[in-house]
Amino acid sequence: MSMRTVKHYIKSFLFLELIQGMMVTGKYLFKRKITLQYPEQKTPISPRFRGLHAQRRYANGEERCIACKLCEAVCPALAITIDVEERDDGTRRTSKYDIDLFKCIYCGFCEEACPVDAIVETDVFEYHFENRGENIMTKDKLLAVGDKYEDSIAANRAADAPYR
Amino acid sequence: MSDDQVTFTVDDVELSAPKGSMLIQATDKAGIHIPRFCYHDKLSVAANCRMCLVDVEKAPKPMPACATPIMEGMVVHTKSAKAVEAQKSVMEFLLINHPLDCPICDQGGECELQDLSVAYGGDKSQYTDIKRVVFDKDIGPLIQTELTRCIQCTRCVRFGEEIAGMRELGMTDRGDRAVIGTFIAKSVDSEMSGNVIDICPVGALTAKPSRFTGRAWEMQQHAAVSPHDSVGSNLYIHTLDGKVNRVVPRANESINEVWISDRDRFSYQGLYSDDRATRPMIKLKGEWVETDWNTALQYAIDGLQLVIKENSVNELACWISPNATLEEHYLTQKLIRGLGSNNIDHRLRQTDFTDQSFAPVMPWIGKDIESIERLEAILLVGSHVRKEQPLIAHRFRKAFRHHQVKISAVNPRKFKWRFKTSHELISSAEGMVENLAGIAKAVGADQANVSALISAASVDEGHKAIAEELTTAGEAATIFMGNIAAQHPQFSVLRALSHAIAKQTGATLAYLPEAANTAGAWLAGSVPHRFAGGSKANSTGANISEMLASPKKALITFNIEPEFDVANPAQAMDAMDAADFKIVINNYATEAMKEYADVILPLSAFSETSGTYVNAEGFWQSFKGAVSPLGESRPGWKIIRVLANLMKVDGFDYMSSEDVRNEVKEQCRELQLDNSISVDAPIANISKTDGLQRVGDVSLYSVDSLVRRSTPLQLTKDADHNHAAINSTLAAKLKLEDGDRVSITQSGHCELTDIRIDNALADDCVWLPAAEELSVQMGTTYSPIELEKA
Amino acid sequence: MTDEQILSAHTLEEIAEWESRYPPEHKKSALLAALNAAQHQNKGFLTVALMDAVAEKLELSKIEVYEVASFYSMYELNPVGRNNIAVCTNVCCMLMGSDTIVDHLEKKLGIKMGESTEDGRIYLKVEEECLAACAGGPMMQVNHKYYTELTPEKVDEIIDGLD
Repeated sequence: MSMRTVKHYIKSFLFLELIQGMMVTGKYLFKRKITLQYPEQKTPISPRFRGLHAQRRYANGEERCIACKLCEAVCPALAITIDVEERDDGTRRTSKYDIDLFKCIYCGFCEEACPVDAIVETDVFEYHFENRGENIMTKDKLLAVGDKYEDSIAANRAADAPYR
Repeated sequence: MSDDQVTFTVDDVELSAPKGSMLIQATDKAGIHIPRFCYHDKLSVAANCRMCLVDVEKAPKPMPACATPIMEGMVVHTKSAKAVEAQKSVMEFLLINHPLDCPICDQGGECELQDLSVAYGGDKSQYTDIKRVVFDKDIGPLIQTELTRCIQCTRCVRFGEEIAGMRELGMTDRGDRAVIGTFIAKSVDSEMSGNVIDICPVGALTAKPSRFTGRAWEMQQHAAVSPHDSVGSNLYIHTLDGKVNRVVPRANESINEVWISDRDRFSYQGLYSDDRATRPMIKLKGEWVETDWNTALQYAIDGLQLVIKENSVNELACWISPNATLEEHYLTQKLIRGLGSNNIDHRLRQTDFTDQSFAPVMPWIGKDIESIERLEAILLVGSHVRKEQPLIAHRFRKAFRHHQVKISAVNPRKFKWRFKTSHELISSAEGMVENLAGIAKAVGADQANVSALISAASVDEGHKAIAEELTTAGEAATIFMGNIAAQHPQFSVLRALSHAIAKQTGATLAYLPEAANTAGAWLAGSVPHRFAGGSKANSTGANISEMLASPKKALITFNIEPEFDVANPAQAMDAMDAADFKIVINNYATEAMKEYADVILPLSAFSETSGTYVNAEGFWQSFKGAVSPLGESRPGWKIIRVLANLMKVDGFDYMSSEDVRNEVKEQCRELQLDNSISVDAPIANISKTDGLQRVGDVSLYSVDSLVRRSTPLQLTKDADHNHAAINSTLAAKLKLEDGDRVSITQSGHCELTDIRIDNALADDCVWLPAAEELSVQMGTTYSPIELEKA
Repeated sequence: MTDEQILSAHTLEEIAEWESRYPPEHKKSALLAALNAAQHQNKGFLTVALMDAVAEKLELSKIEVYEVASFYSMYELNPVGRNNIAVCTNVCCMLMGSDTIVDHLEKKLGIKMGESTEDGRIYLKVEEECLAACAGGPMMQVNHKYYTELTPEKVDEIIDGLD
């Protein structure tokens, strides 16, 4: 009988490994818990988070987008489609602004390209589609998202501003 | 010629260039790029943007390359620290007052200022004050101004003065308040005004019709050829999402240089008009039904064959637009002739066919367009060249500015030119013949068919002066016969007299072909008396005039609106009514067509088909379709090919329009072009008009169905023809004042309109252009007309 | 409308005199003088009709005349008072107290620089630059006549003497 076998027997009879394991368990029993109870509880997210898209307005209610098509040009997934028209007051506006969320890869380039901070990605990530076609975010839908979350959008831009 | 060459060094490269040329010209040729805004190859040097500053050794300060003549041994650095610093500073200055509105600027993406600021500018500005704002001016329906963006390069001002010949834009006020504009509220009215859009290096002048429709980077560029006048200007069609979005010039030094006329640039606006034909239609029991191609073609063939069977094949006729492509002309005449008829004509506005069998194989200018610039004397016979072929008129103007070419005219109206004329003989139609005979007599010409006319002519000072000009210039003179001559009731007489004068003086006899493909139509055999390549037809069919006088039973019209495009609209509509079966192949389906037609086959527009145009200098230019045909419309050559296949006419096995073109080319291979005409050619009788005569041309924005539908062009001053004009002598006789309402009666049709008094007209002439709403129900121009106060 | 009706016989005579000083192909050279004459005829300012008439007379395009007339500060394009007063406010005159003169004038006439009196008698030209009489500052120009070493009293005297 070698020494190795003897050691093994002693370990087995004294439950040493079990005690070791229970010590780990015991240690975590008293540590701070990190598991969150989603959806009641949520992880904090960065102001740079890139979630659902929105179109913003100026404080006077005027839509920001001027249909320059830079986001359309920069979009690597070709998810954006824009049609332009001259509005009655002579300004350049979109008559159609669609983002296909199935195509979108949430890279945030559209936001980077936008000269007027019109198209933004909000920190909203909890959305779903129930019907075909709902994946297309039209201008109206985007503006509605923007109106709803303007406070958090503005707060996020402000928080990130010093680092840009 | 080494004496005239100067050797110098730019960026350590030794160059040589002709003495007296500017540095920027030499470096451009050598491929060394120097940034610039105000310098333009075709315009005079202004040196006011200062962007082209370069470092010249031994010069204390940087020098503007556009205004620095090269000198022997000069050493230039375009990228030295001094040059770069200068360029950077200039860029900063230029950007001080330039708005940051690139995202909404139509020039964005193709802007010289954007490009150069990226390449030569800094990334910061020291200027912190408020930028200036300039209020926009409305300068007409074609050009959009956004003058806050202007960097005062004055290219547009110089263009107006030097190229368009109309100084309308200018720089008013001074210093930082200097603005480009017309000063008073006024539109810019020139047939070439659109070119300022191209030469503007920033987005201060952009195209109004395509404003905000697309960005430069998302459009696709396709080469094309102008479908309007016989210059055959080279174009680029820019398409967006399968639609024509705008048209810009394609540089071709020997044809249109870098310019195009407004008609070429903005006519595309008519492409998507509401009445564009997009589906084949047939009339069943008086009701129009849209159908598929097979049904429509079968219906067309059945109808044709029935009429031919009931009458004879001689009752088959075809009127074809002179703007159709060479391929369309060739196949159409081949189909008509394959069926056994010779009744095909494209000379829709011509009225005198007396000498048609003696006519040249095709009308052309007898030389290349560039050589017009070297002429020393020009006689215009019945031509409003400025509006008919704007870019030919531009060459006249160049010759005038360069060496004061002597330009004279025999016309029914004293037109407003962009060059000085030495003599203009203004008269009624028969007066034009008399004047030309007078000139012929003054030069001492004699020719069998017109000798009686010449000897009977009286010679006055004007005749003598023009004769003197032509004789002095000799071979450097050219007699141009224009659209008015071709529409003249004694075209054959004008032609014979012009030929006599040309022969006597050594001048060239030139024709300015009426439409984009008049020359090609002749070559393709789209005339009743000749096959393709100009060979004599087996028998002579009816020309358009005969087809109007004795209407045929079965009629095919190819892309024309008879009420606008035929010399005698009233008669044309009667001829349509008299026919039993009418096939309309057209870009559009108008209410009038639905009235008379039996089948409407939708035809692809010039941007949607491949084809070939032959221009005024006999140059064949083939092009491909830029966009796919709208709706179910199809290219003309395919429609005719299938019609022929279905009617079992042999020889229509073409796979492409190139096959067709090559076949025509083969038949034209031996061709010797010559504008001279036999001295035995018959000439028309000269009928004297008693009372008032209607005179007029076809306005440049009424020449074909496409321009007639281009809304921006129709809003210009040039398209305003809702009035008639007489001179003050006649007005006094009729007791009329400017602006009075008058009734005009011709061919039994009466219209009410305003009268304008214009002393550019001869006595007893009433100016009433053809192809206008006012004249669509009347007879021919240059025929009697009644006018009285309403 | 012909130029004869708009330009007076005297103006035409003056233009013709200036024209005769230049070669016939350089009629343009007489433009400044012609505009001066036209402005004088119209009691101190130019109208578009006057400028058009000058353009026709000198065979220039209208815009060329507008360019020149709007460039030079000596041409007025808006209706102004018949007496044109320009106080130099450039460095030398400023150091010699031109500001006092301007204040005095503005107060006396009840108008600001760039305005005309209601009765159309006097026009105070806006911010005139150096008139090349620096040795005599402060100075002003009244209808092309120079008055130097001004004091408020002297100004009163000059103004009261105007028609």
